[in-house]
Amino acid sequence: MTASQINGLPVVTVHGGDDVAEVRDVIYNPEAGRLVGLTLNKRGFFSGRSREVLPAEAIHAIGRDAVMIADESSLVAPADAPDDVGHPATDRNVIGNDVLTEGGTSLGVVRDLALLVGSAGEVVGYQIEKPAGGHGYIPLPAQLAVSGAALVVPDVTQEFIRDDLVGLGAAVDDFRARLGMQ
Amino acid sequence: MSDSFRSATGRKVVSRASAADLGMVSYFLVDVGQRRIASVVVGRGKKARLVDWAQVSGFGPDAVMVSDEGALRPAAGDREQAAADGKLDMLGKRTLTERGNKVGTIGDVTFDPATGVVEMLQISDRTIPADTMLGSGTYAVVVDASQEPVP
Repeated sequence: MTASQINGLPVVTVHGGDDVAEVRDVIYNPEAGRLVGLTLNKRGFFSGRSREVLPAEAIHAIGRDAVMIADESSLVAPADAPDDVGHPATDRNVIGNDVLTEGGTSLGVVRDLALLVGSAGEVVGYQIEKPAGGHGYIPLPAQLAVSGAALVVPDVTQEFIRDDLVGLGAAVDDFRARLGMQ
Repeated sequence: MSDSFRSATGRKVVSRASAADLGMVSYFLVDVGQRRIASVVVGRGKKARLVDWAQVSGFGPDAVMVSDEGALRPAAGDREQAAADGKLDMLGKRTLTERGNKVGTIGDVTFDPATGVVEMLQISDRTIPADTMLGSGTYAVVVDASQEPVP
């Protein structure tokens, strides 16, 4: 699934069965390659931005239909959240960044984040808009150099561009094996 | 013999002491941890009252017998008020697994009328054991990962 598919999902308590918030946006740490938390909107009549955030550690699961948390105490004020969740750096948004190989070839521009299904937010790839047009998915190494304007990936990434999320899922392990990271 | 929420909804509630008709079953409040009916909601709207399961002397096919009218009490606390308002009604409620995927909508819930133990949830064309329930609230009934829908 992609990060944009998470936006708008209800946040539901496992033990309460209540929808206590709605996902506004994901907070992503590109160096760590994972979601670090979610910003929230309120649900119902008083909808609008919620002051509280949901740190990734408190996420029970991210599904197709809901983000599950144990109970309402998982939602915390930004001041009580880890720094990268409560005060995320604004210059680390990778959406719109150019993806360059080490050899200097542009693979395209990042449009979305691809998450490992069933995980609590591990980002395993990016959806890119290719220079020639059309979308594709590239797998990510576990660690990555990010500047704020561009990100640099190994040359071999070019061989692992896939057309859809299913293909990406299959490519991630092979890609990381090729890089000798597993 | 099992009874079900759908078939028991609308059943009359009668005082054993006075034989007075006290109203009709409208909703059930389930204690998920105990997997039992905690109380039965009698009547709807502002007239809704709760009867604790312990006060039900006989949950029969034609009437629900309670000791006397004093067994009916107003809702106490947010959860009971939500139950009295029908917001916790499991019938028609969406079911999610703890992994955040939708299983379906609850069509009926079966229970043992002798004990109040909730037995099965009927969801679309499946019947799943009630002991997979982790939570039941205003938005959804949450079941454990064993009920994950096959993609």
